[in-house]
Amino acid sequence: MIAATTSTAVPVAWLVARAAGLTALALLSASLWLGLAMSVRLLAPRRQKVLMGWHQTLMWCGLSMVALHGISLLLDPVMHFSIAVVFVPGLAPWRPLAVAAGVVTAWLMLALASSFHVRRRITQRRWRLMHYAGFAAFALALGHGLTAGTDLRGLTGLIVAGVLAAPAVWLVYARILVPRPQPGRRPVTPGAV
Amino acid sequence: MRSVWATLLSVWLLFAVIAVLAWTRQQPAPSQSPVIVVKGKNGTQMLVPATTAATHATTRTSPVAAG
Repeated sequence: MIAATTSTAVPVAWLVARAAGLTALALLSASLWLGLAMSVRLLAPRRQKVLMGWHQTLMWCGLSMVALHGISLLLDPVMHFSIAVVFVPGLAPWRPLAVAAGVVTAWLMLALASSFHVRRRITQRRWRLMHYAGFAAFALALGHGLTAGTDLRGLTGLIVAGVLAAPAVWLVYARILVPRPQPGRRPVTPGAV
Repeated sequence: MRSVWATLLSVWLLFAVIAVLAWTRQQPAPSQSPVIVVKGKNGTQMLVPATTAATHATTRTSPVAAG
């Protein structure tokens, strides 16, 4: 009796987990760029509202991808991740620090995305302070991708990290260097004197 | 409307990344190539690599038609 078997099945859960993680990183980065662009006042004031909407929506989309990333890892037959490993940082048996960075990023993203809806309850100042966690979330997400992921290794990882971080760094510098207009004071334009 | 566009963008981005990852997926090692399970009469099993059948060569040539 002869029975033929094949072991060339496509690891769907593993592919979806990796793709969802990379997509989440891209969406989080885009959301951060838009938030910084708003802060720098890169566009005209009437466009600020549009930027704000996209900043918020992209954050929720990124969070959805993070959820898909976690669910796919739970379903992956090789990783054997439990629910506790996905929700609690530091419980992963495989690269615990790197995985913990990803879990903390997910919680920070959830807090940031939720903060848009409770902005009026907490004061504007607290909301702004809380928003600084976005930088930590971005740095942790990048670290998670570079150290836990299998796709951002070596030169590819450095190039992707550079592409994602460069606009953020440039916008932070612009925010620090470009003076913010004082409320109630008209901006001085060249030739107006 | 913005949410719809953002969702579409995210899903298409996800599909694109899946496609790239699947396209660049490393092929399984030769040891993981399809195998044939040969079961003996006494219940023993033996794994035999499934290789493509070799083309049969012949040492005999067709006879040349006389004439």
